[in-house]
Amino acid sequence: MTYFEDVDLGDQIGPVETIATDEGVASFCDVWSPPTPNRFTDVETARQSGMEGPIVPGIMAMAMMAQLLTDWAGPDSIRDLDVVFRQPVPHNQPLTLEATITDLREEDGLNVAECDILMLGAKGERHVGGKAIVSLPSRDS
Amino acid sequence: MTTELKYDRSLHEKEHRAGPFEITVEMISAVNASLGEKGPAFTSDAGAKGQGYRGMIAPPTLCSIFVREVQLPDIGLEFGRVQMHAGQRVQPIAPIYAGDSVSASSHLKEVYAKTGRSGTMVFVVWETTFRNQDGEIVAEVQESFARRE
Repeated sequence: MTYFEDVDLGDQIGPVETIATDEGVASFCDVWSPPTPNRFTDVETARQSGMEGPIVPGIMAMAMMAQLLTDWAGPDSIRDLDVVFRQPVPHNQPLTLEATITDLREEDGLNVAECDILMLGAKGERHVGGKAIVSLPSRDS
Repeated sequence: MTTELKYDRSLHEKEHRAGPFEITVEMISAVNASLGEKGPAFTSDAGAKGQGYRGMIAPPTLCSIFVREVQLPDIGLEFGRVQMHAGQRVQPIAPIYAGDSVSASSHLKEVYAKTGRSGTMVFVVWETTFRNQDGEIVAEVQESFARRE
């Protein structure tokens, strides 16, 4: 459990290393049901779109980033997650998820932490970046 | 310099609906499997109850999966041709439980241009509100699409 009083500006969440596997993306697409063939699961379609290979759907990348936050602050702690897709996210490559606390405040009766959040590739390239606001419990409540 | 954007501005006033979408245990479990999610609240009723919920809840960005089920019209934007998914924003408002059904309502939120070193891009932002079977708003989702010159 992460408490509001234990968090300070500049604190890091993560880094956490992860991989979006072919199987994981296929499982996600089974639920999401994008039209097939698509650049998320089909090599040829991805190459026709100018990619080296299939890529991770943006909403799956976002879900992975949300997981970093819920692991840290709790299952329904996210108040706002706003991300920009900067570069396609490849399958089967190491990805690093991390966030940095940029503000701590009370908002609408909640203790919230605002953070910059990133998904980085193996060479430090920024695949996805954005901001998030999470609520945290207080030791007093 | 301001880029004058030509598109169907009447779409700002129109709502486009889809659903309801049933939130099943199987759906949540499949998403969990894809993400390696093992959090107790997301993986079982017992785990969720142990954390104060009345049952298993969905991961907080699950609603994003349903956004593309809304049949959105062509806004008639006279700018660029290639469109890409530029960004996504999710604001979870209340937990979504296994067994809930959620409905989506989308509208055109904004269309704006940004000019940088690589030229001008136009961003089209759709906002979708999700309500559960009781009419309670459970999430707001914004999807941004970018078009280049």
